[in-house]
Amino acid sequence: MAKYILKRVLISVVTLWVLVTVVFILVRCMPGEPFQGEKMTPEIKANLEAYYGFDKSLPEQYIMYIRNLLKGDFGYSMKYLNQSVNKIIAQSFPYSFDLGIRAIVFSVSFGIIFGIIAALNRGKRLDYLCVIIAILGTSIPDFIMGAILQYLFGIRWGLLPVAQYLGFKYTILPSVGVGFYTLAMVSRLMRASMLEVVGQDYIKTARSKGLSKAGIVCRHQIRNAITPVVTVLGPVVASVLCGTFVIESIFAIPGMGKYYVESVQNLDYSLVLGMTVFYGSFLILANLVVDILYGIIDPRIRLQESR
Amino acid sequence: MKKKCLALLMAGLMAVSMAGCSTPGSNVEKDSGTEGGGEEGAQKVFRYSITSDVSTLDPQKNNESTSATIGYHTGEGLTRSMDGVVHPGLAEEWEVSDDGLTYTFHLRDAKYSDGEKIKAQDFEYAMKRIVDPETASSFAFIAKPLENADEITAGKMDLDELGVEAVDDETLVCKLGFPAPYFLQVISMSQFYPTRKDMVEKYGDEFAADGEKNVYSGPFCLKEWKQNDRIILEKNPMYWDKDKVNLDRVEILIVADENTALAMYEAGELDYVNVPTDAVGNYPDAEFYKMGAEDFIKLNTGDGPLANKNFRLALNYGLDRSEFIKLSTNDVWEPATRFVLPDVGGAEGTFGEDYPYEAFPLEGDQKKAEEYLNTALKELGIASASDITLELLTSDMERTKKEAEVLQALLQEALGIKITIQMVPFTDRVERENKGEYQMVVSGILPDYPDPISFLESWETTSPYNHCNYSYEEYDNLLQKAYHTGDAKERMDTLAEAEKVFMEDGGLVPLQFRMNAKLVSEKVTGVTNYFSGYNINFIYADIK
Repeated sequence: MAKYILKRVLISVVTLWVLVTVVFILVRCMPGEPFQGEKMTPEIKANLEAYYGFDKSLPEQYIMYIRNLLKGDFGYSMKYLNQSVNKIIAQSFPYSFDLGIRAIVFSVSFGIIFGIIAALNRGKRLDYLCVIIAILGTSIPDFIMGAILQYLFGIRWGLLPVAQYLGFKYTILPSVGVGFYTLAMVSRLMRASMLEVVGQDYIKTARSKGLSKAGIVCRHQIRNAITPVVTVLGPVVASVLCGTFVIESIFAIPGMGKYYVESVQNLDYSLVLGMTVFYGSFLILANLVVDILYGIIDPRIRLQESR
Repeated sequence: MKKKCLALLMAGLMAVSMAGCSTPGSNVEKDSGTEGGGEEGAQKVFRYSITSDVSTLDPQKNNESTSATIGYHTGEGLTRSMDGVVHPGLAEEWEVSDDGLTYTFHLRDAKYSDGEKIKAQDFEYAMKRIVDPETASSFAFIAKPLENADEITAGKMDLDELGVEAVDDETLVCKLGFPAPYFLQVISMSQFYPTRKDMVEKYGDEFAADGEKNVYSGPFCLKEWKQNDRIILEKNPMYWDKDKVNLDRVEILIVADENTALAMYEAGELDYVNVPTDAVGNYPDAEFYKMGAEDFIKLNTGDGPLANKNFRLALNYGLDRSEFIKLSTNDVWEPATRFVLPDVGGAEGTFGEDYPYEAFPLEGDQKKAEEYLNTALKELGIASASDITLELLTSDMERTKKEAEVLQALLQEALGIKITIQMVPFTDRVERENKGEYQMVVSGILPDYPDPISFLESWETTSPYNHCNYSYEEYDNLLQKAYHTGDAKERMDTLAEAEKVFMEDGGLVPLQFRMNAKLVSEKVTGVTNYFSGYNINFIYADIK
């Protein structure tokens, strides 16, 4: 087991190193230069380049960056002067994370419920209603969804705050906005999976044994149908935790999404790198944990790996 | 069994995270005024929003207008510029030598927010810090009028050779490299605010990164700065003119989406908001003000048809600017028929009042355009206008894209030439522009200080900001004359003449002056706007 874990950890570290190196090279390939302005003279530009160490050769800069990275130092943002990338991440990530978790809980729980309801009422009104919700969810882009939610609940009916992120009632609209797509996806998947299970032999057996309908649905049908949904949750969690830029900006939530997009536009090398490495390590860590868990749950995996 | 346990555990965790945890923002200080706005108890609170976080509050590194606006309220220079008029700031009075090269400032008795006395040495330190190559301020050029400033920034001279000296605690002498009557405007800017050496040395790279990492010389103190979320200012009890400041607290929220900000205003969560251009039609009460920015087509006059004066004039006369504004910004922005923003300071009134001028008719002049075009074709030896193809460089933002398309349509129709659009990301556009890799580019200027030279200087042959190969002797001579005259009226006359000469040479194609539309809550009084130094001024604002 120790060997298995060690191997996983090593793979993760190598992945991270490749990520850092590739992104380090890629940001410098972006068109444009970071120090530009109407009145940027060559002298001022040279001073700025010296300040950020860009006057040194690329390999030297790379070694310097890696050395700082090993100390956990992402450097200073080039757009938000005086602000360290570490501080920016430490301030903004909790918001994105919180919003992401809420969105996942909302979308998965309601998605599963809608899927079950739709499957049990196949071809009836409730089914159509759930299908309509699912189609809306997958086809309306989040910036429209966010704006509609904001307009209806925030402005038209005044039920919920229009923007910001200051307490539970502030989180409802953005969580729905972020989670709606996932909800739609989960409910479709759940419905299809439920309908597939219903034709299986063991359901027939259960029925012939004389089990009640509710018992069959709860104990056999749902439990077997939910497996494919759980399988897709991994990638879904990753995308929701990282990709809430639009909703964050509509609801004025100070999360990471905005920094990420902005830093690329501004050619803020240190911020782009810092954010990418952070997200990257986050995902790599999540994968590592999942791998190790798999190993614990399923002995076949670790045996195979250690051979 | 293991799986089941895991599933239960996960479900439990999720439930806890949903209900139990507080949101990261819920510990934000929620003082009076956050709900419902205005005055609650004794506190007078003013709330507005900005679309992106300020880049820095380090006075000398300050490089954009939102940072400048916060700086304007938390600091003060030797002078304070208000609506373009210079008032005494931390200097009570000053003398200017006859040649306009030596300024002697006498400081008033004033204190920083921590109670320490504001000394002349702090101004000297600040000015040296702007030009110091080690500071690496992108705004180092702003100190240009000070003797030897540019040489020091370029690393060719020692810091001590800068034309500034604190004679004693209350007296500061500035020596200029050339007479610059706008110097009094320039030193009202945040780069010139007194800066405490002990603060800079104590916090190093993190100087001014948080409220407590600097001291404040202006009407307000920075109380809290939550990046990308909010900036909270509170009245500075040590400010020398504090009796005139009515607000206790100012909350500046960072709301990226302009429509969200508008919705928050409608819901009573903000007291002031800028209306997005496409929503202006729904708000007949909105009040307009100039942002100061001007857009124009910058012409690379190095070679090709654009090197020909008559062709450049044909472009200028061929463009129907009123149609352009209608199609691109729905008539919200103001068409520009001259180069210099008329609202900058002139000899007595504004530049526009003192020197009224319309370089090109608002609707263009098709007849003149054709005349100029035909002359140009003859001079260039080109048979037909349709043989000319020009490339228009622009950035890929929604607005600039639309502008470029409108320009393409209007100019092609008016002149029969062919225009292709090259669309690139903003930073790429700026880089190509600065390297001169373009024929025509939709560009703009935001004046650093309200003086015509802020517009005109970039087209002088030797200017480091001249990225369009423009060179015109008569224009250069006029600018040089303006730089060297000590007489303010003569200087302004010369600059007005230079603008005229420039326009008659078709140096660029002026397009528009940008406008903002604002809504202000009825409870709030005394908020003003200007285009240089700050975009919103709430020092003397009050809540009814």
